[in-house]
Amino acid sequence: MKNLGDEGTRRGGSPIVSCENLTYSYPGSSREALADVTFELRSGEYVGVVGPNGGGKSTLVRLLNGLLDADSGSVRVGGLDPATEPYLVRLHVGMLFQNPESGLVAPFVEDDVAFGLENLGLRREEMRERVREAIQAVGLEGYERREPHTLSGGEKQRVALAGLLALEPEVLLLDEPTSMLDAAGRREILGRLEELRGTRTVLHVSHHLEELLDADRVLVLNAGRLVADVSPEHLLSDTDLLEENHLVLPSTLRLAAGLGLAPAKLRTPEDLAEAIKIGSEVR
Amino acid sequence: MRVELENVRHVYAPGTPFEVEALRGVSLTVEPQEVLGIVGGTGSGKSTLVQHLNLLLVPASGRVLVDGVDARTLAKDELRRRVGLVFQFPEAALFAPTVEEDVAFAPRRRGLGEVEVRQRVRETLALLGAGHLAKRSPFALSGGEKRRVAIAGVLAMAPEVLVLDEPTAGLDPAAREDLLGVVRSLRESGTSVVMVSHDLDEVAEVADRVCLLEGGEVRATGSPEEVFYARPAEAPATVRVVSLLRDSFPGLGRPVRLGETLAALKGLLEA
Repeated sequence: MKNLGDEGTRRGGSPIVSCENLTYSYPGSSREALADVTFELRSGEYVGVVGPNGGGKSTLVRLLNGLLDADSGSVRVGGLDPATEPYLVRLHVGMLFQNPESGLVAPFVEDDVAFGLENLGLRREEMRERVREAIQAVGLEGYERREPHTLSGGEKQRVALAGLLALEPEVLLLDEPTSMLDAAGRREILGRLEELRGTRTVLHVSHHLEELLDADRVLVLNAGRLVADVSPEHLLSDTDLLEENHLVLPSTLRLAAGLGLAPAKLRTPEDLAEAIKIGSEVR
Repeated sequence: MRVELENVRHVYAPGTPFEVEALRGVSLTVEPQEVLGIVGGTGSGKSTLVQHLNLLLVPASGRVLVDGVDARTLAKDELRRRVGLVFQFPEAALFAPTVEEDVAFAPRRRGLGEVEVRQRVRETLALLGAGHLAKRSPFALSGGEKRRVAIAGVLAMAPEVLVLDEPTAGLDPAAREDLLGVVRSLRESGTSVVMVSHDLDEVAEVADRVCLLEGGEVRATGSPEEVFYARPAEAPATVRVVSLLRDSFPGLGRPVRLGETLAALKGLLEA
């Protein structure tokens, strides 16, 4: 496995999530969906997870909050085993599913956002306040009394995220939280996550490398194995690692790489245009 | 086949306090054998629009025309066979014990003979690069594989227009490329594809024409270069980069696809 070793700076405090030799196969399948995976998340870290479909990303997330029970190896979240203490673990760990439809339950947007809170025994005023803040955080003011089934895919995704933020969990497990959002919506949600930086531990599964450029670390899962645990800069410049794991650079970075410019420094079209201008003047 | 929306309005929950006007007079034509990209922000009406193409949603006013004929006068099941609609996250509807049974469901329901059903299933799965999955359980597949099987279920009805609503959401980049390849080969084989996507970079790669929606209205329709270069701030990365350089380098032209953009930019650095 490619590893940061001493090259990267490890952010955050004590380990809040730890997995050791984690192995899981789905019932009836002979293939291991996750095999011998070992890693830690430190409190306050922002860690990306990438890799091909079927690589084990969603399985990992489900093992971390006790939706699945490991065949062997161990998972600990805040010292607890999610398989035996799922309700305690879920007080601290919030999860967002890939398909936003999976999480919406209530007749109105504000009820849906409040749904998880209703089980926490909060005072009504505090609940209202948290719901209001969460709806504001995802840019859905004015949608409080809309019915979720009349919303677009991207709007549903925001509702689901608001429901998660309202719970204020210490650990956020996000399984492709922006898969249905346009570029502006994506920037907005990522900005919101960035504001939480350091105060929450985030595990962010994505197929879009541009979302993980600022992550502390990126885990690469392929065929159930953890094949790399590296910095985003390392991942972007390691063409073999990218290729072996079916990862494709975002368009701006692909153009930069195709022009022989260092992609890690040229994130936006503006950066790239500037570099091209300078490059053409030199010649 | 040509499908036209003529001044279509759609209202959700009419007459209630929750009334929302999702489409405000949309006119748009899906031409034979083209890839039409439908783009626009979250909640701009993309999914509502495409659900009118086979009258899954009925317009509050305006008309849907199929080869010039009012779609309301056509038999619904025939209309829905000819205009196949693949929803967002279509794998949620997989249900059969094996992939081939799942894909065979709709053709069998239409009363096709078993030999033809088998052949359609085989051909469709092959087209989607999913032939090796035929005997597997759809529930044991990866996200990308499930997506392809779900699309095969609609394609097995041999639609003349295939509508894909966010077909690549949740797919890894390799699976995304594969799916865009399927879209291209469908067009080659004579099927029109209407692709709803919030990912402008992928629309740039496959679309012949683009329709940009905003607030339930058509803001622009045209070739990708016409639509995207008129609004570089909300364009694919390729167009954004080139737009920033066009003042200094007027010879760049208006490339949209990644390959042609790279070629044009290389010229600058090598000149």
